[in-house]
Amino acid sequence: MAGGLDSFDWLKDRIKRPKVLVDLSGIAELKGVRTTSDGIEIGAMTTLSEVVRHPLIKEKYSLLAEGAELAASPQIRNQGTLGGNVSQDTRCWYYRAGWPCYRAGGNICYADTPTGRNREHAILHAERCVAVNPSDSAPALIALDAKFVLRTPKGERIVDAEDYFIGPDIDITRLHILKPGDLLTAIRIPSTWAGSKFYFEKVRDRNVWDFPLLNVASAMQVSGGTIERIRLSVNGAAARPLRLKAVEDAVRGKPATAATGEMAGQLAVQGAVPLQFNAYKIPLMRNLVKRAIGGVEEAKWAS
Amino acid sequence: MGILKSITEWATNPWGQNVPIHIAWFLIWVAALAGLLFLIVHAIYVRYFAKAEEYADDSSPTLATALPKRIPRHSLAARLFHWIMAASMFTLLITAFLPKIGLQFDWVTYHWIAGSVLTVSILFHIVHASFWLDFWAIWPDRADLIDARRRVLRFMGRPAPPPRKFAKYPLENKLYHGAIIATGLAAIGTGVFMLSRVRTIFFPRNPYLFSDMTWGLMYVLHGLAGVGLIALVTVHVYFAVRPEKLDITKSMIFGSMRREFYLKHYDPQRWTVRIQPSDSISTDRKA
Amino acid sequence: MADLPSERQYGVGYKLIGKNYVTADLLAKVTGRSKYAEDFRAEGMLFCKLLLSPLPHARVKHIDASQALALPGVRAILTADDLPAPADTVTDNGTVIKASKWGERGLTMEPVYQGEPILAVAAVDELTAAEAIERIQIDFEHLPFVVDPLDTLRPDGPNPRTDGNIWVTPSGAQGPAVAQLKWTDADFAEARHGRLPIGKTPDEWSYGDLDAGFKAAALVLDETFVTPDVSHQTLESRSAMAYWQNGKVYLHTGTQSTTQTRTAVARWLNIDLDKIVFISEYTGGGFGSKVTGGVSMIIPALLAKKAHAPVMMRISREEETFIGRARPGFPGRMKVGFSKEGRILALDMFVISDNGPYEAQGDAPTSGHMVSLLYQPQSMRWRGVTVLTNTPPRSAQSSPGGLQGIAIIEPIIAKAARRLGVDQVAIRYINCPEGKARYGPPVQGQLQHATSAFIKEALQRGAEQFKWQERVARSPKRIGSKVRGVGVSLSCYVGGTIGFDGLLVITPEGRVRFQSGIGNLGTESVIDVHRAGAEVLGIPWERCDVVWGDTSKHLPFSCVSGGSQTTHAMTRASHAAAMDARQKLQEIAAKSLGGKPEEYTVANERVSRNGHGSMTFAQAAQRAIELGGKYDGHEAPADINKMTKASIAALAGQGLLAAARDNYPRDGMTHSYVASFAEIEVDVETGKYYIVDFLAYADVGTVIHPRALGGQVLGRSILGIGHAIGQKWVFDPQYGAMVSKRFHHNKPPTILDLPVNMQWAALDIPDPETPVGARGIGEPPVGGGCASILNALSDALGDGIFQRAPVNADTILTSLEAGRPMQHPLIAHI
Repeated sequence: MAGGLDSFDWLKDRIKRPKVLVDLSGIAELKGVRTTSDGIEIGAMTTLSEVVRHPLIKEKYSLLAEGAELAASPQIRNQGTLGGNVSQDTRCWYYRAGWPCYRAGGNICYADTPTGRNREHAILHAERCVAVNPSDSAPALIALDAKFVLRTPKGERIVDAEDYFIGPDIDITRLHILKPGDLLTAIRIPSTWAGSKFYFEKVRDRNVWDFPLLNVASAMQVSGGTIERIRLSVNGAAARPLRLKAVEDAVRGKPATAATGEMAGQLAVQGAVPLQFNAYKIPLMRNLVKRAIGGVEEAKWAS
Repeated sequence: MGILKSITEWATNPWGQNVPIHIAWFLIWVAALAGLLFLIVHAIYVRYFAKAEEYADDSSPTLATALPKRIPRHSLAARLFHWIMAASMFTLLITAFLPKIGLQFDWVTYHWIAGSVLTVSILFHIVHASFWLDFWAIWPDRADLIDARRRVLRFMGRPAPPPRKFAKYPLENKLYHGAIIATGLAAIGTGVFMLSRVRTIFFPRNPYLFSDMTWGLMYVLHGLAGVGLIALVTVHVYFAVRPEKLDITKSMIFGSMRREFYLKHYDPQRWTVRIQPSDSISTDRKA
Repeated sequence: MADLPSERQYGVGYKLIGKNYVTADLLAKVTGRSKYAEDFRAEGMLFCKLLLSPLPHARVKHIDASQALALPGVRAILTADDLPAPADTVTDNGTVIKASKWGERGLTMEPVYQGEPILAVAAVDELTAAEAIERIQIDFEHLPFVVDPLDTLRPDGPNPRTDGNIWVTPSGAQGPAVAQLKWTDADFAEARHGRLPIGKTPDEWSYGDLDAGFKAAALVLDETFVTPDVSHQTLESRSAMAYWQNGKVYLHTGTQSTTQTRTAVARWLNIDLDKIVFISEYTGGGFGSKVTGGVSMIIPALLAKKAHAPVMMRISREEETFIGRARPGFPGRMKVGFSKEGRILALDMFVISDNGPYEAQGDAPTSGHMVSLLYQPQSMRWRGVTVLTNTPPRSAQSSPGGLQGIAIIEPIIAKAARRLGVDQVAIRYINCPEGKARYGPPVQGQLQHATSAFIKEALQRGAEQFKWQERVARSPKRIGSKVRGVGVSLSCYVGGTIGFDGLLVITPEGRVRFQSGIGNLGTESVIDVHRAGAEVLGIPWERCDVVWGDTSKHLPFSCVSGGSQTTHAMTRASHAAAMDARQKLQEIAAKSLGGKPEEYTVANERVSRNGHGSMTFAQAAQRAIELGGKYDGHEAPADINKMTKASIAALAGQGLLAAARDNYPRDGMTHSYVASFAEIEVDVETGKYYIVDFLAYADVGTVIHPRALGGQVLGRSILGIGHAIGQKWVFDPQYGAMVSKRFHHNKPPTILDLPVNMQWAALDIPDPETPVGARGIGEPPVGGGCASILNALSDALGDGIFQRAPVNADTILTSLEAGRPMQHPLIAHI
C-alpha cells in the first residue's frame, strides 16, 4: 500500500480483505526525486505534492507537474503518491460498489447494458469491461517516455510507461502488469523530452477533487513550425492510458497548427464506440488531441 | 447443491443473493488429467492385455472382389463439416482455457467468432445429417447392444458368441458422438445466449435476458461442457492417431478407406457399399 | 466592482441590528473545540452499525441473527419489531393527527429503498458490529420496485409501495394517503418526443382566464424541463449518541430545532416529553434534512435501552446518502403565454415530484405557489402529482419546490426574452411582484398576498451593480473556443412564520440571558435573533448571554430553522420578550421608586425617570425576585406554549423573567426575494464552463447581521448553483440501486467551482408587517443560484442544448456535436 487513498476505500467498504497489508511509507529509498545521468528518477512513494513542487520537474518536465497538480484535491495530493496514482484501480461505480463484475472475477459488465449508467466509461478498446483508467499522471509519463522500474521476485524489470498498463482484453482484473510480489519502485524520465513543448489538459465535472472525464498529455519538439517529434497520450478513454502512436506518426513532419490538430483529432477517435451516456467523449477526445497539437486560443476579454 | 458448490465459484450479486458465476477452474486440470489418464490406461491395455479382435465370420469373397479398391466413407461436405468443427472446437478450447491457466491474450473475440462458426456448422450438420445422410447410422442400434453384451461377456471370460463386425460406425464411435452431442449442445446452447453478454455483431449487448441465478447456472453448464470437451477431444485425438485407427482418420481427410480395412472391420450387411463403377460416389447417402 | 458589501452600511440608526459582531459559538467552531454529536463519549459506550437493505423493495421473511449474537462483544440487536408504535400527534389546539401507516420508522421489515436500515447491532466496537452485521442471514421476499417516477405512472408500471404509487390528500380525512394512479398509453405518447406526458393529476388549482391569456399572447412556449434529485450532504452526517439515566433518555445529535426535536423524539419513542433530554449545541448543516433531527436517532436510543449501555451510532458518508434525505427531482412542463412586451398572460404549469418512498413532501404544491408569486402571471393553472419511488427518502431542501419551480420557468422566460427581443432584466422587471403582491393557490376563492416585495428595486440595483447592460453589450461573445454568457434570475421563498415564544432572564448581576430554543445549524440565527431583543432593551451585547443547545437548560418554544422562518419568527419573539422585560422593568421601577411605569425609560442598563432617580438592571432583577409572581417567573403568561411554561417554571426565581408569545399582527404571508446575476464562460470544445462572476441582490427586510446574511445569501446561492453545475443522483434501474452513492459522486460544488469574488448585497428595506422588519433568507437565494447559471448557459450556447439540470460537459458536447438537444430529458437518474 502506498498513500492508501485507493486501498482504504476497499478496506473500509469491506470488499477487499487482504490477509496482509504492507505499508510502504517507511521505505526511504522509494521516496524522493534524484537526477540521473540521463534525466531524473522519481521514487514511487514520492507524493504528488512533492512532484508538483519539485523545481527540476517544474523546469524541465512540467508536463508531469501539470498532470499531477490536476489530480484530486490538495489534501489527497499531500498523501497520494506518484506510484499510487499510476497504479490506482478504476473508479467504475459498479466495480467500486463491490458488484461481481468481470473486473471483480464475475461474468458481467453492469455498465455496458441497455440500462447501464456509463457516462464516465470507455469509448475505446473496451472488451467486456468498459471501465477506464483514472490516472492524471499516467498520460504525462507516457508522453515523457518514462520507464517504470519494477522489483519482481525474478529481479529488476524496466518497462516503458505505456507497457505498464493493460486492458481488459489481456487481463480484465488488473489495470497494470504488477503481479503479486511485484513492486513499482521508481519512475525514470529520460532527458529526451526535457523542456519540450508540452500540453496537458484535464476535463472534469468539478474544478477540484474530481476524476478526469478525459485528459490529454503531449510532448512535442517543433522546429520551424514543423513537428519533428511528438509523444501523445490520452486517459479516461479506455482501461489503460492510450499512447496515440498512429496520431504521432501521422503528424510527424507536419506543421504544428490547428489544421494538423484537427486531422490528428479525427484520427485519434477512429474506432471509438460510444455507450448510451458517454458519446460526448468522442468529440471531447477529438478536441483535446487537436489542442494538444495545435494549441488553444486564450480568450482575452474586454473588462 | 453440495457437489455444485464444490465445483463452482459463487459471488454476491447486487441484491445480496449468492449466485454461481462459473465453474471452479481446477476442473480444467481435472478434465485434462482424466483425458490423459484414459489414454494411458487404454494404451497400456491395448499394448499388453488386449486380445486380437475376433468377429463372427461374414465374409463374402464375391463381395470383396466386387468392391472398389477404396471404399468411399465421408462425403466432402461431411469432411468439411468435421474439420471446420474441429478447428472451431480447438479455437474454442484454447481461447477458453489458456487464459484461465495464466496465458493471457485477447481471447473473447476469437472465442465468440469460433463459437458462432461452430454453431452454424452444427446447425448445418444437423440439417445435412437429417435429410441427406443416413441419420440413424450414428445412433446405437439393437445389433450394437447385442454385440456389446457379447464382447463384455467374452472379456470377462464367459462363453458368448463372437460379436459381428461393425456397421459404418462402431459402438464406441456412436457413444462418443452421443457424448459430443450432449456436451457440444450444452456448450452451444448456453454459448448462444452468452453471446448477448459480450459485444458481437449479432445483437445489442444485454446481460439481463435472465435472472442472475439462471445466468450463473448457464455459465456453470457452459464451463462443465467446456471442460468435458477437453477430456473428449483429448480422447478423440488420441484415437485418431492410434496406428490401428489411422485408416479411419485418413478417411476423414481423403473421404475413403482401403478395401482391406473395410473388409476386416466392417460388416457389409450393416454398412452397405453400393457397388458402382465409380468410386467417387459416396456411400453414406441414404439408401 | 463598486458597492462591495464591505462598503455598504447596514443598520443605520441601530446599535446592534445591522452590525457585524462575533457570535459566541464562533471561536469553538474555528478552533475545532465545538463538540458535535459524534464527539461525545460516555462510560461503557457501545457502537452500533446498521444492516442496510440490498433490495429496493422487499419483505423480510426471516432474520437469523444467531451467528451474529454468538460473536464475542455483540451486545444487542434491534429490529423493527422492537420499535414502539409511533404516537399520534396532538396539535396545540388539541387536534389528534393519527400516526401515518405509511410513515418511516427508522428500521423496517419492508424495505422500500435500497440502503434502508433493517436492523442495528450494538457491540463493543464498530468492527465487531460490522462483523456481526455480515453474519446475519435474512430471507427476503422480493417485491416490485420502481426508481423512475414516470415508470410507475405507466399503465402497467410497478408500484413502489404495496398499496400504491402517489400521495393524495383526501378531503376531510387526516393527513395524506397513498393511492394508485396510472396513466394511459395515449398519455405517454408525448414521452417519445421528449415532452413530459400529462395525465390525470390528483391536485389542481387555477385562477384567471387561461384560454384568453394564451389567445392574447404574442408568444407561447411549451417546454419540458427536469430538475435533479440532490442529496443534502450536510458535512455532519446524522450520527447520534444516546443513553438512559434515571428513566430519562439523553440524546445527542444534529438538528434544526433544539426544542421541537424533543417533541418529535417523544412521538417516535412514544414517551413523555419530560423523559427526554435533547442536546445539540452544534449541528454541521441541515438544509432541511434535520428539521427535527432524523428518525434514525431513535436507533441508538432504543439500543441503549436494550443493551443497558450508552450507544453511539456513527453514520458513514455512504449511509448518509441513503438515510440523509434529498430534494425531490421534478420532471416539469410549462406552457407560458407572453405579451409582446414579455408580460406573462397565461401560465399552465405541470409537475411530477419524485417523492421517494416515504412522507409526502410539499415541493409540488409549493412550486406552484412560488412561481405564481414570483412571476405574477395574469392567469395560471397548476397541476401536480407527488409520485412515490423506491429511492432514498426525500425531505425539504433549501427552497423546497421553489428551486424546482424557478429552475423550470426561468429558462423559458430567458428563451421568451430572446424570442421577443426584450432585455432579460426588463422582462423580469415587468413580471415580478411588488408590495402586497397576490399569488395562488386561491384559498376559499381568494388569492393570498405577500407582506411586502421590493424585488423590483433589488433587480434594478443588482443590474446596475453587476453592470448588466455593459456585459450584455460586450462584443464579441466568442473568442476562440470560449463563449461567454450572462444570466439573471428572480428568486423567492417563504421568509417567516409567527406565533413563537421569547424568553429571557435579567439576572441579579445585571446581565441579560436569552434562552434560545433554535437549532445551531451554522446560520447564526440561534444567536442573531436575540440582537433584536437586546436592541429593544438598549443593553450592550457584552452584557448579554445566549443559552442554547440543551433542553435541560430550559428553552422556550421556538420555530424550527426550516422554511427560512427563524430570523423573522424569532426576532419577533425576542422582540416580544424584550418588550415584556421593558414593561416589567418599568413596573418594578415604579413600584420601587414611585411614579407611573410609563414615565420610566429603559436605556444604558438602567430604568430611569427623568430627574427622579433610577435603578440598574441588576437592582431591578433583585427586586423582581423579591416581588415574585410574574416578575421572576412564578407566574407565566397564559398564551405561551406549554414547553415555554415548563422552562419558565424551572427558571423561576433566577431574576427578572420576561416571556412572551409573538402576538404581533401580520397582514399577508412573509416572503423574501433575491435577484441573481451570473456570467459564465463555456469552452465549446470541451463542454467545460466556469462561473466568471456572480451577484445576489437580496430583498430580505432589515439586515440583522450582515456577515451571517452574506454567508446565507452566497452559501445558499451556491447550493442552488450545485443543482446547475453537477449535483444529481445516478441509479441503475435494473437493480434499483444508486451507483452515485459516494460523496465524490454527489459532487457538491467546491470553492474552486465558484468565482473568486462572489458578490452579495441587500436592500435593507424593512418589512412593514414585522416589528424589526427582518425576514428570513435561507431559501430565497437557492432558485436564483441555479437558474442564473442555466440562463447564462443558454445565453452562451443557445436554447437547444439542455432540457435538464445539472448541465455538464457531456450534455453540452453531445448537443453541440449533433446540433440539437441530445440528452433524453425523461430518463430519470442518469
